[in-house]
Amino acid sequence: MGKIPQAFRTSQLPTSQFLKNKQSPSTPPQKPYFLTPKNPKKTQQKINNRPEKVKSLTPLINFTSPNLSDAKTQFKSLISTQKNTPFDTRFCNSVLQSYSCVSSFQDSILLLNYMVKIHPEFLPDRHTYHVLLLQSCKSTDDDSLSSVHDALNLMANNGFSPNKVTTDIAVRALCSSGREEHAVELVKELSSKDSPPDTYTYNFLIRCLCRNRSVSSMNNFIKDMREGFGIKPDLVTYTIMIDNVCNGKNLREATRLLEVLSEEGIKPDAYVYNTIMKGYCMLNLGSEALGVYNKMQEEGVKPDLVTFNTLVYGLSKSGKVKEAKKFLRIMAETGNFPDAVTYTSLMNGVCRQGDALGALALLEEMEARGCTPNDCTYSTLLHGLCKAKLLDKAIELYEIMKKGDMKLDAGSYGTFLRTLCRNGRVADAYEVFEYAVESKSLSDVSAYTTLEGTLKWLMKAREQGLAV
Amino acid sequence: MLTPKLKKAITDNPKKLADLIDLVNLPTTLREFMGQSQTSRLGCFKRVWSYIKENNLQACPSVTLAMYSAILWTKDPNNKNIVCCDEKLKGILLGKPRVDLAELPTLMKLHFPKKQKS
Repeated sequence: MGKIPQAFRTSQLPTSQFLKNKQSPSTPPQKPYFLTPKNPKKTQQKINNRPEKVKSLTPLINFTSPNLSDAKTQFKSLISTQKNTPFDTRFCNSVLQSYSCVSSFQDSILLLNYMVKIHPEFLPDRHTYHVLLLQSCKSTDDDSLSSVHDALNLMANNGFSPNKVTTDIAVRALCSSGREEHAVELVKELSSKDSPPDTYTYNFLIRCLCRNRSVSSMNNFIKDMREGFGIKPDLVTYTIMIDNVCNGKNLREATRLLEVLSEEGIKPDAYVYNTIMKGYCMLNLGSEALGVYNKMQEEGVKPDLVTFNTLVYGLSKSGKVKEAKKFLRIMAETGNFPDAVTYTSLMNGVCRQGDALGALALLEEMEARGCTPNDCTYSTLLHGLCKAKLLDKAIELYEIMKKGDMKLDAGSYGTFLRTLCRNGRVADAYEVFEYAVESKSLSDVSAYTTLEGTLKWLMKAREQGLAV
Repeated sequence: MLTPKLKKAITDNPKKLADLIDLVNLPTTLREFMGQSQTSRLGCFKRVWSYIKENNLQACPSVTLAMYSAILWTKDPNNKNIVCCDEKLKGILLGKPRVDLAELPTLMKLHFPKKQKS
């Protein structure tokens, strides 16, 4: 998108206006960086906030060298040769942005000054300064916020005081360059200057902090924001926090956070419950996961497909296959039809009980219901068949996988190799190794390490007279 | 179940991984076989395996079967697990006329001695 067709470049039409009108409805919303798909609302909002920036035109200049005087010359010649095209602000912004990708921050400022000087029609707007701000945030060799401050001051001196879009851009850029501490510092500073972060920026920073920094740094930030600026964590924040403690297997803390949530008067939604349920499932606590489901029912929170999939996964994993199967029916009744994930989890459970043929039957059932199995489904089955010593069936399945170019997962690959070797089919094991590498299921190294280990084990077993 | 274990083994033991993928100068015998002077242990293994397949060296029942069938674990002449080495392969696999696939990695490893601590 965004490339100006040749016809427009020389046309007398007010190109920018034309493009704008034409493009804005038809352009597919380009994703602003680092968005997790969880928050569709966010995408919308960001696009409304800074449509021009997102839709930057491909400039007629593509800068390859950071040399400032070259860039100046290029810009000048562009201006003087193509008199007909209106070089509006949007275009100039894209030129600046392109240059900022290769240059230093100081050089970008100098180019901007130069552009304004020789092309007086160019009136830098908020987006122009955001380009500079973005660049100052992205430089990683900076251990203070000084260049970010420079950018913000430059903005303020030209009549654009920072707003929440500014905050958002800066925070995202800082976090993506691993400068979370700076982001926290900047957010506090901007909050005291009347441009507090909105809930998306706030939650983004929280997520970065708990992913890449310690929990205490996150808690301090929450505390400071609450006490200093009255910005309170919301439901999304709590979901992030609960997810974080669940991943650390600290379910007690998760339960405590859930209580805090209700004390704050926020009603937990299905996301929160799903997260906690996932936590229990990871610890093989099927009945506790079931407890969460019952609680959801009590509180009147409608379970979604994720809830059921998590539940089926947890129950299967902790050996409660019967109950898991029961939920398949409940799912259909509530209009959440079991998908490949549901069936795969269930098959996993069935296989764990040693009933690989039962799992095969499930494969037929799912296909009969119009649900397409995926790589993971087949890998699970392969694993189960090998464990149940049904090598012939396993090989049959493997052939199907091979035909469908499906990937083996590392666990099934290892089990399959061992089963083959145990049955004296070393050559076939080599073929499987080759397929695993070819299909890029595993890296060469891990595929080979597994093969080598298996063969070593086989030789040892032979020495002891345990294998043929 | 194997993945975390494997991952751990690799991260715990970066040297082992390096042994596998680092390019090393090959000894003369291997150099002739590979047609290049440097390769990794993994690359070498893959090359040997594809050589075996290309030349159909898995269990050709012809050569002096009687002699070896006694010491081989299996009496099946069509056993695909046995490689009948041609002259080229013999050169790099200790001159053995027949090699069990299971011992191939071990034999290959002999060409890649552990580096001395320097």
